[in-house]
Amino acid sequence: MIRMTIDDLVALSPLLAIAAASVALMMVIAFYRDARAALVCALAGIALAFAMLPVAASKAPRQITQLLILDQYALFYLGLLFITCFAVALLAHGYLGRLGGQLEELYVVLLLATTGGAALVMSAHFVSFFLGLEILSVSLYVLIAYPRRSARGVEAGIKYLILAAASAAFMLFGMALIYAELGTMEFAQMASGMAGGDVRQELLLIGQAMIFVGVGFKLAVAPFHVWAPDVYEGAPAPVTAFIATVSKGAVFALLVRYFANLGDEVVQPFFPALAAIAVASMFVGNLLALEQTNVKRILAYSSIAHMGYLLVAFLAGGSLGATAVAFYLVAYFVTNLIAFGVVTILSGRREADEIEDYRGLFWRRPWLATTFLAALLSLGGIPLTAGFMGKFYVLMAGVESALWLLAVILAVNTMISFYYYLRVAFMMFRDAPEGEAAAIRPLPSLSFMGATALALLTLLMVWIGVYPGPLVQTIRSMVAGLR
Amino acid sequence: MMATVPTEYGLLLAGMLFALGLIGVLVRRNIVFILMSLEIMLNATGLAFVTAGARWAQADGQVMYLFILSMAAAEVAVGLALVLKLKRQFKTLDADAASRMHG
Repeated sequence: MIRMTIDDLVALSPLLAIAAASVALMMVIAFYRDARAALVCALAGIALAFAMLPVAASKAPRQITQLLILDQYALFYLGLLFITCFAVALLAHGYLGRLGGQLEELYVVLLLATTGGAALVMSAHFVSFFLGLEILSVSLYVLIAYPRRSARGVEAGIKYLILAAASAAFMLFGMALIYAELGTMEFAQMASGMAGGDVRQELLLIGQAMIFVGVGFKLAVAPFHVWAPDVYEGAPAPVTAFIATVSKGAVFALLVRYFANLGDEVVQPFFPALAAIAVASMFVGNLLALEQTNVKRILAYSSIAHMGYLLVAFLAGGSLGATAVAFYLVAYFVTNLIAFGVVTILSGRREADEIEDYRGLFWRRPWLATTFLAALLSLGGIPLTAGFMGKFYVLMAGVESALWLLAVILAVNTMISFYYYLRVAFMMFRDAPEGEAAAIRPLPSLSFMGATALALLTLLMVWIGVYPGPLVQTIRSMVAGLR
Repeated sequence: MMATVPTEYGLLLAGMLFALGLIGVLVRRNIVFILMSLEIMLNATGLAFVTAGARWAQADGQVMYLFILSMAAAEVAVGLALVLKLKRQFKTLDADAASRMHG
């Protein structure tokens, strides 16, 4: 008999709040259609869910039924997801305004997708893993194809739907195989089940591999990356920011928790395969990015490479590895939000995603260009930015576990990546287009919300890069409780 | 007393169905048929879960199947809406003809 107590509900309150917020917002939109009211409701809902975190923290660590677990680790990632969702909602407001039409439902789906991500980072069971992932995925299909007139959006939405559903099926089949062998779907009980004698190891291996296909697709690592450039290009810019951050970060957080529960012996047989995936992701991402002329595609390939870097930290394992993963994810979230935020702010009826759109941006919008430059440098990993500290921790974790080859490949790939980041950066310092050329690519006026969000994010990025101490302390204490 | 089917047979059948669905997704070019093939893949996983649950005499496998069923319904609802939009914009249901982005 499963019984839920008041304490369980309190521990569950962030998840309940964000889910209730999306329903409440839907009711508000049904009766009162107004872009600003919808934004305020969405932001209030996210803020409420965030405010529930300290309340829930008083009950941590706590297992809520078999399905979910609330510990420091979950709380940390919940906070990260909520802040990211908040920033995306702020950025989306101006974008939707320029797009025109009644588009308030975007916030409803955005909150739903965040609910899915929140369920993922709290999950301790295959059922919640699957449900969280699917709530996130189905919301993303809608978000990607959201603007009604965009043909690229529909194409990207369909591509994502087919590939995501197929990879979800792979993952489910893997789960079924593991369940058939072990008789449990709880992460915590699997390790002891696997140690048992009469378990067919080959079926378990196939099961784990199939689960990794599903996870690898979500992360867009090398053999499963084909969807990323098209979806990044076709989706509306704020949604692309969401895909790059929340969707990948939540899945990676789950991956770390899953393997922390199973123990190192389970990862060992996959080590060569995972290392190959990491190397392939780094090279595929960085080499294919060199050829691109579309900023969203460049960022898509760069994010494939970044997932490769993250896998190096994941393979390093241990608490140092988990610390590096968490720190890198924070840096990656903030930096990507800024990069896609700049694309969002410049986009309206037409997406400002061609590299030509950025010609001479520095002379026309100096602050915006400086922000974008900072984000590009952080993605590349220049000192004094968040990206540099993230890479530093990943390298440290790799060297600590004596993954020399992976560390060297990571360093080489960082060098390659400078080329295409700087190509975009140099474009901003060219002469600004005049006359007819400028008329084709008009600059929309800055939206107040978006500009504020960008400014805050940039401050955060520089702060993490210059003074990472407090963040590292938080991450260390949260990783210590992970099991 | 009912005769029980060995777990291996159930999993094997589910695996064959899954493979058939996967082939359908890879080979078919009409988007509606691709969606149908996806359904076959998802239902195959459902069968595998039910078989696995039967081996341990637990309800968990069937509970999971219900979740898969409802998720597949949600997915198809969104999928068919996208197919309608696709048909309106590209005047075709051919997956290759509707693929314009490259690089």
